Amino acid sequence: MDYRAKVGLRFITRRKGSLIAASLAVSIAILVVQVNSVIFQGLYNAIIRDQINYRFGHVYITRNENFITKSDKMLVNWLERIPYVEAAAPRLESTASINATGSGQTVRDYDVPVIGVDPVLDTQASTMYTTVGNGQYVSSRNSIVLGALVARDLGNPHVGDSIKLKFKDRNGLDQLKRFTIVGITQTAGSVGLDNSVIMNIDTLREILGRPHETQSIMVRLNDPTKDQVVKDLFLNAFPTRSDNFKAQTIEESAEQTLSGFRSGIALINLVGYFGMMSSAFAVVTIQMMQVTSKTREIGIMRAIGSKRKDILMIFIFQGMVIGAIGAGLGTVFGVSYTVYAKETHLTFQGSLALEVSYNWLGILQTDILAFVLAIVASIYPAYKATKLQPVEAMRFG
Amino acid sequence: MADLVLEVRNVDKIFGEGETAVYALKNVSFSVKKGKFILIVGSSGSGKSTLLNMIGLLDRPTNGQVFIDGIDPSNLNDNQISSFRNSKLGFIFQFSNLLSDLTVLENVLLPRQIQGTDTNAIEEAKSLLKTVGLENQMNKYANKVSGGQAQRVAICRALINKPAIVLADEPTGNLDSVSAQTTVQLMKSLNKKLGHTFIIVTHDRPQFGDVDKIITIKDGRIVDDEMMEVPTVN
Repeated sequence: MDYRAKVGLRFITRRKGSLIAASLAVSIAILVVQVNSVIFQGLYNAIIRDQINYRFGHVYITRNENFITKSDKMLVNWLERIPYVEAAAPRLESTASINATGSGQTVRDYDVPVIGVDPVLDTQASTMYTTVGNGQYVSSRNSIVLGALVARDLGNPHVGDSIKLKFKDRNGLDQLKRFTIVGITQTAGSVGLDNSVIMNIDTLREILGRPHETQSIMVRLNDPTKDQVVKDLFLNAFPTRSDNFKAQTIEESAEQTLSGFRSGIALINLVGYFGMMSSAFAVVTIQMMQVTSKTREIGIMRAIGSKRKDILMIFIFQGMVIGAIGAGLGTVFGVSYTVYAKETHLTFQGSLALEVSYNWLGILQTDILAFVLAIVASIYPAYKATKLQPVEAMRFG
Repeated sequence: MADLVLEVRNVDKIFGEGETAVYALKNVSFSVKKGKFILIVGSSGSGKSTLLNMIGLLDRPTNGQVFIDGIDPSNLNDNQISSFRNSKLGFIFQFSNLLSDLTVLENVLLPRQIQGTDTNAIEEAKSLLKTVGLENQMNKYANKVSGGQAQRVAICRALINKPAIVLADEPTGNLDSVSAQTTVQLMKSLNKKLGHTFIIVTHDRPQFGDVDKIITIKDGRIVDDEMMEVPTVN
């Protein structure tokens, strides 16, 4: 081993307090970045996951400013012939007026979003049916599933109760229809359809007077990385100029929801990186203390022939040791927290479960950054060490 | 002139400027031949350690020149002076000044490792440590050996690169009388055996007995340059 590396290693490892303090400063900074990443990236991924599962699928097909008039069965069949497509399901959206009651009295009328789903296809393309905690998913033509927020506003009706909804059809005429509540759906963080009611798509078509029309088709893929391929295949098969279709990947369809969140993640990451800068200051301080405590040794080494650059290398090497140990510890802490969050499906106060993934590239980038910062933070103390004159260093060290 | 290992010519060392200027050394000149055992003596504050720092290239004279092995190092840059110190000079300090984080053997090896010529270094270091009776202590950390032993390690460290001159600043100043006497005898025997030139600063002249030359300094000036004519074999 090079003598500078050996001396640097001995200097720092024989002062365990300094080594532990400096390494912990680096590792805690990495842990902060990791925890931020796990929580906020996990939350971001969870929102994407739920948007895919409940609303948009991996590819979301609509028609610009109009309903899809082509047969939904034909489109679903066409899509399901693509090897990457697991399932596709049509949906139709509208609004209905609903009465909120309290103690048997009407409290108020308000509009709720209504989602028409195909009872069979929707359970293949969406996991919305799994969120029905009480009762079952939409089945027969007059069944309805209430979102938890709607049920709350209605005074918490029970499964089996009936409910009347008032629609406006395509001609602007009121259509009043009674439904039987078959289930109540609730999602963590209310990112599902908690504020809507779900009913049979054919019933809704009939009420609205749109017997063959569809609002959207959500497409679930068995390989989510192929979303752009499926989108392009669809748009090539059904050119915009003739059918005016619009196909979006999940990043595009959920953009409105995700864009603000991304800014939040960037801000949180910035806070984490400020934490890393703080750790760099801690390393500077500890290294300065190290230089002060080793003044006499620096003087001796200079007296017996070490050059300034040799002294510089000794303390830079110490920074490398601190950076490496800190990065190692930080990775262990960070990965442990990631494993814990992933295995326990970590949630915070009933919010949606985090979708935690192992971002090895991110971990590596953070480690490298911490390692480099520890070295950079050692440059000034190392430079100060090189400026010590042998005679003064030995006299006052 | 060819056998001169050190020549100090008209060296002044002034600390401070203007009215606060203090002459630590004034017009100091002397020379030393190869293989001699020289004492620089004087009372505390007389300038003897300052003179040793000039000879050891740890400080630069304000005026005058110091030639070591025929070379004037005043024109060398900082890196060249470091290399020059490493190869031409060995240092023994009052407090031994070993690196406490290294073992005895590693301390002895350090000047050689700084030089970058590791060939046979470990064997030579072990041989030196054996010469001074520390072959059983070589793997101990430097702060785990006694003061006298540490000073013997410092002597080995000073000799490992086979320097032209070994400079010792009060090498017995921090030792008890027995250890001090052992150290003195060791330096003298190594001087005889290996032929290195020893220049020793001390205020305890009697402890060293017969030496080749004694330079007495008072108030920064050489007041006595006494050549001892010691008979030599051959």
